[in-house]
Amino acid sequence: MSDATIDLFLSNFILIAIIGTIAVSLYGIVAKPNLIKKIIALTIFTDTANVIAILIGFRRPPSVPPVFTGALTRPPTLEELRAFASSAVDPLPQALVLTAIVIGMAVNLLIIFITLQVFRLYGTVDMRKVRELRG
Amino acid sequence: MRKFLTATAVIVIAVLSSVAVTVGGALGPLFNGVRSLAEFYLLNVFNAHNRTLTAMSPEAVTSIVWDYRGLDTLFETVVFYMAIIGCVALHRGIELTKRGSEVGLSRIVKTVTKILIPLNIVVAASIALHGHLTPGGGFQAGAAMAVAPIIIIVVFSRFFLMKRGVTKEVALSLRSMGLLGIALVALIPLVAWVTTGSVAYVMQNQVKTNSSFSFPAYIGGSLVSGSLIWYNIFEFLAVTFGFTIVFLLLSVDEETVRKVLGGDKHE
Repeated sequence: MSDATIDLFLSNFILIAIIGTIAVSLYGIVAKPNLIKKIIALTIFTDTANVIAILIGFRRPPSVPPVFTGALTRPPTLEELRAFASSAVDPLPQALVLTAIVIGMAVNLLIIFITLQVFRLYGTVDMRKVRELRG
Repeated sequence: MRKFLTATAVIVIAVLSSVAVTVGGALGPLFNGVRSLAEFYLLNVFNAHNRTLTAMSPEAVTSIVWDYRGLDTLFETVVFYMAIIGCVALHRGIELTKRGSEVGLSRIVKTVTKILIPLNIVVAASIALHGHLTPGGGFQAGAAMAVAPIIIIVVFSRFFLMKRGVTKEVALSLRSMGLLGIALVALIPLVAWVTTGSVAYVMQNQVKTNSSFSFPAYIGGSLVSGSLIWYNIFEFLAVTFGFTIVFLLLSVDEETVRKVLGGDKHE
C-alpha cells in the first residue's frame, strides 16, 4: 500500500472514531435522566470537540511543536524562522483548545455545584423526579 | 419509544457527519501542511526583523493566547471569573468554619504528600514563569498548582489548609489581585499614551506601525517577551486561587450546608 492510502485510511479511521464518540456522548446528554451521567457525557463531548480542533491543525510527520527551539539570546535569522514555519504544526487550534479546556473546567465546576445543590434540595439527581417536584 | 427515537436521531447524525468529513472532506485537507494564518503566526512570532508583527516569544501558542488574540483571552478570563463567582454565590450564607477534626488519611499518605506538594509548587511556578519560552502558561500552571490544595484537603482536611492562612477570603482577594494585574497590564499602554502622547492600544505588546509603545522584550539579558510573562504570572494567580475557592467550598461538610438550607421551604 502506498503512503497516501495509509494516510487516507488512518485519517478516516480517526474521524469516524471521533464522530462515534460524539454520537455516544450526545446520546448521553439527551437520553440519560441522571444529571451526573449528563455531566460525564458533556465532558466527553467537550474533549472530543477539542481533539477535532487539534486534529485539523496537525501536520504529517516529520513535524515539530509550535515552539521555536533555536538560540534565545540572539534574534533568529529568517532562514531559521522559515524552516520552523515549514515544519511546525498549526498553533491556533492549540491556543483555542487551551482556553477551552480551562473555561470548560470552570463551567463544569459551576454545573457540578448546581447539581450538588439540586441533590441537597430535592434528594435526587434524576431529572424525571426533579421535574415532577413543585416548589 | 422515546429512547429509540433519540438513538435513531443520533445514529443518523453520526452517519451523515461521518460521510461529510470522510468522503465529502468537510474538514478540508488533513495533515497536508498548515493554513496560511498559521504560517503567518509561525513566521512572525519570534521575528525580530519585523517588529510590528512579532510577539517576541518563541512560543506560538502563548503569543496567540495573550498577544495576537489577547482580547479573546481577556473575555475568557471574564467567563472563568463569572463561573467562580457563580459557585461562591450558590454557597452564600454557608460559613467555612476554621475548627474541626484534622484526622485525615494515614501517615504514609501524609508523608508522601509532604514530599510531593513542594515539587508540585515548583513545577507549577516553572510552567508559569517559562510560559513564554516553553509549552505552558498561566492557565496550565494554575491548573497544575490547583492540584496542591485539593490533595491537601483530601489528605490532611480542609482545616489544615485554613489554619495555615488559605481561607476563602484570602483566596478571593489573591484571585482578585491576579485579575487586577491582568487588567493593569492591559491598560499600561493607555497610561503610556496619556503620559507620553504617543498612540498606544489596549493589550498592546510590541511596537505597531503607528505606535512606538513596547513592553521590554529582554530584561537583564533574559527574554521576557514583553507583556506575555506578566499576563502568565497574573493568570497563574487568578486560576490557582479561583480553583482553590471552589475546592474549599466543595469540601464543606453536608451537615453545615443542610443547616443553612434547612430554613428553605423545599426541605
